[in-house]
Amino acid sequence: MMKQLKKINVLAVIVFVCSIFWLMPLILIFINSFKPYNDMLQHFLALPKSWSLDMYVETWTKFGFPMLIKNTLLYTIVTVLAIALLAPMAAYKLARTKSKFSIVCFGIIIMPMMVPFQSYMITLTRLVANLDMIGTRRGLILVNIGLCMPLAVYMIHGFVKNVPIELEECARIDGASPLRIYFNIVLPLLKPILTTVVVLDTLATWNDIITNQLIVGGNAKAMNIQNALYMQFSAQTADWEHALPGIVMSMIPSLVFFVAMQKHIVGGVTAGAVKG
Amino acid sequence: MGWRKTEFSPQSVNGDLGKGNWEGGTELNKKKWKDFLLFALFVFPAVAFVLFATDIPFMMNLYYSVFDWNGIGKSMTFVGLGNFVKIFTNDTLFWKGVRFTLKFAVFYVVIVNIISLVVALIMSKERKSSSIGRAFYYIPYIISLTAISLIWKFIFGAGFEALYNITGWEFFNWSWVGTPKLAFWVVVIMAVWQNVGFYMVNYIAGIIAVPKDLIEAAKIDGANSFQVFLKITVPMIMPAVSICMLTALTFAFKLFDIIMVFTKGGPANSTVSVAYNIYKEAFVNNKYGLATAKSLVFVFFVLIVTAIQLKVTKSREVEA
Repeated sequence: MMKQLKKINVLAVIVFVCSIFWLMPLILIFINSFKPYNDMLQHFLALPKSWSLDMYVETWTKFGFPMLIKNTLLYTIVTVLAIALLAPMAAYKLARTKSKFSIVCFGIIIMPMMVPFQSYMITLTRLVANLDMIGTRRGLILVNIGLCMPLAVYMIHGFVKNVPIELEECARIDGASPLRIYFNIVLPLLKPILTTVVVLDTLATWNDIITNQLIVGGNAKAMNIQNALYMQFSAQTADWEHALPGIVMSMIPSLVFFVAMQKHIVGGVTAGAVKG
Repeated sequence: MGWRKTEFSPQSVNGDLGKGNWEGGTELNKKKWKDFLLFALFVFPAVAFVLFATDIPFMMNLYYSVFDWNGIGKSMTFVGLGNFVKIFTNDTLFWKGVRFTLKFAVFYVVIVNIISLVVALIMSKERKSSSIGRAFYYIPYIISLTAISLIWKFIFGAGFEALYNITGWEFFNWSWVGTPKLAFWVVVIMAVWQNVGFYMVNYIAGIIAVPKDLIEAAKIDGANSFQVFLKITVPMIMPAVSICMLTALTFAFKLFDIIMVFTKGGPANSTVSVAYNIYKEAFVNNKYGLATAKSLVFVFFVLIVTAIQLKVTKSREVEA
């Protein structure tokens, strides 16, 4: 009995030590974000002398964080709302309609899941430029919605196929209109998969850097927080005293969201990956 | 359009009532038209967004790939298959990118799968510490690439300088980002660190699915834990292994984000992946037609891997 208990504890300690080691880069970033540059070099592994938030406040105002967070929130909310409205509608109708045209539409929507984004990002940028939407918020939002749509529709489509059709038929016989059937009966049943989709797309949009780079580029007004940090600090001589607090602040929303939504994120990512 | 009435339309539900009108046609046409409008209302917005952001740009590749064009000017010269000939005969940087990508794929697939499998084996036990541990390994997967690249830039730069001052180990004094050979490992380390959590979760799902009675039966028959692992766990998680390997392979082939945000292909083009080579061709060298032709070649190779992946995934679904 004693031996067993000891064995478990030893394993738990190993697990703990390994996990801490894995997160070491993040921990080092955090403790060094409170230090002046000289202290970073001389006392890299030590805790900071004071936990003062001065550099955080300075970074917040100097690099226009309120604006950046406003932009990032706008992109995330609009994209996720559009996906949450349109993806289940399309997925539901496509799953319930058996016709060649319906199959073609489904094919158009899931084609991008086979083809890597890297193969059409150049032409996508060209198309957005032709429409005169490079560097604009609406250009980025339209692109984001389009890029998030395929996986969302695919995941919900798979879910709808397992939702029994009888409920809808009963409602139809009772004289409910198709729109009412969808919003009052079908949509509530899709809540589990819709939560997963919303959570995944929230993270993807908040963390997006590549699309923002391609579509918004250097237009400071429409940058999201990731793009702005990248443009400011990825140059050769980095200003770490401001960069580290900036990184930490940009990560806090993702981390809080992860802790709150852990189950959906882990489960959803697995489902999306194994199927896709 | 090849529109036909839906399977569950009212006619099929209470078909007797509608029957009288089937011969007449007008009522039916009206019904069909209504069904179509409903379908359009539900499906077309999603289709429009996807067409705009992905399908149409992809098709534009086909068009631009037969032209010599700088991406800005008005003059486009039709060159037929000239761009493709150029790729296969006279483009050393592209093939250097192919070699880098393949080399990266080999090391990434092996390393990320070994680490995540080992972590998953340790973390698959239902324990409080392992659920926290899982979350720790998963965190790099949910933070942005900007943060990841800046974090590692800091670690490999100022961090290693500081560690060298503390320890005096030559290892920390090497120019990790500035030397071609070491920069390759920097890319591998970042990619592995970012993604281990993702594969770990997939492996844990596979390990948990191993039937407990099978393990218990083996233990009653006198097998030790190592034998149980080798003879029961390993064969049972082989499907998860093959899926993770293939997912890792597709990721490696598409390697772009880390390169664009962190090394930018340097030093001396030593970390230019295929996808980054395409990006550079279009936006830095202004050879737009050539870049789109490369995109098509790139798609062809990635599609082969994706096709295999789909086949393996499908066959697993049948088993399950």
